[in-house]
Amino acid sequence: MPFRFLPDVALADIAFEAESDSPDGLFETCGAAITDIMVDPKTLRPTTERSFSLESEDLDRLLYDFMTELIVIKDVESLLFKEYEVKVSPQGTSLTAVIKGEAIDRERHRLRNDVKAVTMHLFGVKHEGRRWRTTVVLDI
Amino acid sequence: MHVPARIYASKKLLDNMDSGVIEQVTNVACLPGIVRYSYAMADAHWGYGFPIGGVAAFDTEKGIISPGGVGFDVNCGMRLIRTNLRFSEVKPKVKELVDLIFSLVPAGVGVKGSQSFAQSQMGDITSLGVRWCAEHDLAWDDDPEHVEEGGYIRGADISKVSRQAITRGVSQFGTLGSGNHYLEIQVVDPDRYFDPALAKEFGIVHDDQVMVMIHCGSRGFGHQVCTDYLRNFESGMRRFGIEVRDRDLACLPFNSKEGKDYYSAMVCAANFAFVNRQIIVNKVRDAFAKVFHRDAEALDMHLIYDVCHNVAKVEKHRYDGSSMEVLVHRKGATRSFGPGHQDIPASYRDVGQPVIIGGSMETGSYLLVGTAKAMEDTFGSTAHGSGRTMSRTAAKREVRGAELQRKMLERGIYVKAATMDGLAEEAGMAYKDISEVVETMDRAGISKKVVALRPVGNIKG
Repeated sequence: MPFRFLPDVALADIAFEAESDSPDGLFETCGAAITDIMVDPKTLRPTTERSFSLESEDLDRLLYDFMTELIVIKDVESLLFKEYEVKVSPQGTSLTAVIKGEAIDRERHRLRNDVKAVTMHLFGVKHEGRRWRTTVVLDI
Repeated sequence: MHVPARIYASKKLLDNMDSGVIEQVTNVACLPGIVRYSYAMADAHWGYGFPIGGVAAFDTEKGIISPGGVGFDVNCGMRLIRTNLRFSEVKPKVKELVDLIFSLVPAGVGVKGSQSFAQSQMGDITSLGVRWCAEHDLAWDDDPEHVEEGGYIRGADISKVSRQAITRGVSQFGTLGSGNHYLEIQVVDPDRYFDPALAKEFGIVHDDQVMVMIHCGSRGFGHQVCTDYLRNFESGMRRFGIEVRDRDLACLPFNSKEGKDYYSAMVCAANFAFVNRQIIVNKVRDAFAKVFHRDAEALDMHLIYDVCHNVAKVEKHRYDGSSMEVLVHRKGATRSFGPGHQDIPASYRDVGQPVIIGGSMETGSYLLVGTAKAMEDTFGSTAHGSGRTMSRTAAKREVRGAELQRKMLERGIYVKAATMDGLAEEAGMAYKDISEVVETMDRAGISKKVVALRPVGNIKG
């Protein structure tokens, strides 16, 4: 399962659930979900690359900070991303990300909702067996 | 619970109120230092931590401050400007006006404002709000006094705002944003012209007078302030031994360093929002002047008022027989100060503060006035809007954006939207009946109806 929207969780905003077999995959899936909320990804091309590193106290906050970073880049550089490559450290406290997308083009991109923030509601990473799961509620 | 919860609702509103409101208003009643009641107004619906439509006042010595009690969009609010135009003059020009304003006021995902400032100016701008605008020819002389708190809230400190918030916000002045934000050309509804004498005090003298209403907030700047402090408050709570029932209820003593830092940053964001709405108003004035070939002064495009509906402020209130300073959190709630209050502009002091309640883009909005009873009962607070009853996904299942746009045009409302998906999500059916909300607050005496405003042109972010 890449991600699944949860229409009944947040009336005024948008919630989704994501799952993967690794923290790397979970982070990449959350990135893809955020993209999908803001733009039809089929209309987006991976022509511009950005890379960044992050450190946080734990895996929860690392994911929170990662998603926040995507929102900040969208606002500051007007970039939306189609491809995500994330490497999370074994301790789950740092990451490096290489992301590819392009500048917002109102003529060519089918834009959707503006994601403004990641909330703490229901937020947290769960690790069960070989699966990593999270629920994310985004402020729209 | 430290205090009881008090919910304002008619039977119809209560029957349809989501259960999350009851749970959340109860959670808020358990926070340290809360006084009198944890309130939910008639438009209350589920929020993060605090309900939207929630009001809670905290003792400034023993109480807390909570980013979740303010909301992500700090000082999301409403601004109403009047014109001296009658609808008969504006009707043939609505499309031209909306199209022009849409080109001047950017809306939607990742937009930049047309008014650019340097990062080095952000400290002054976010300290002085609309006063700064007036000093830099970006506001009329009488604009600041018609903004809540006289155009800026005291206590801002840009050093408490992160670099990320500043870089997000600096290019976003004068943008509408998205979600439920809008800019609307409205007409006073002749059938719901409730109090002509009071309306006259606000410069409304005709029952088909044209108005402009703006609903937006502090954009990425305010969202980042909330994000930063919500994250950091969690670790602080452990040190103060505070436990809450929801991570979004994160809070710290108002008197702690972290609490004061958040307050100073939140005030910067609130003042950012006042400036954002001011720059949008400047564009609206330009557009009307261009379309009607008269300058905006000749069109009497004065600001009636600008109110916050996501904020925490230190205010003096009387309760239990004495005057006390409290930190009032209004999250999706509007200040509703009654006649005689010193914080109301002199021109309105005899009648009370204008209260602007925004409805959905299909159902219209209201201008109300604050009351003495609100001062006695709710720390001078009332509702803010209609409140959602349907999720965004469900609304999109019910109606397509293009179809809604066509139907609204048939009903005399010309809409221009940044995206068709966003338009469908804001359909009127996704919201509570605003008239029921307004009637409930009016019957409770917390705010009184002045006029209803029906939309004729709408820009949807």
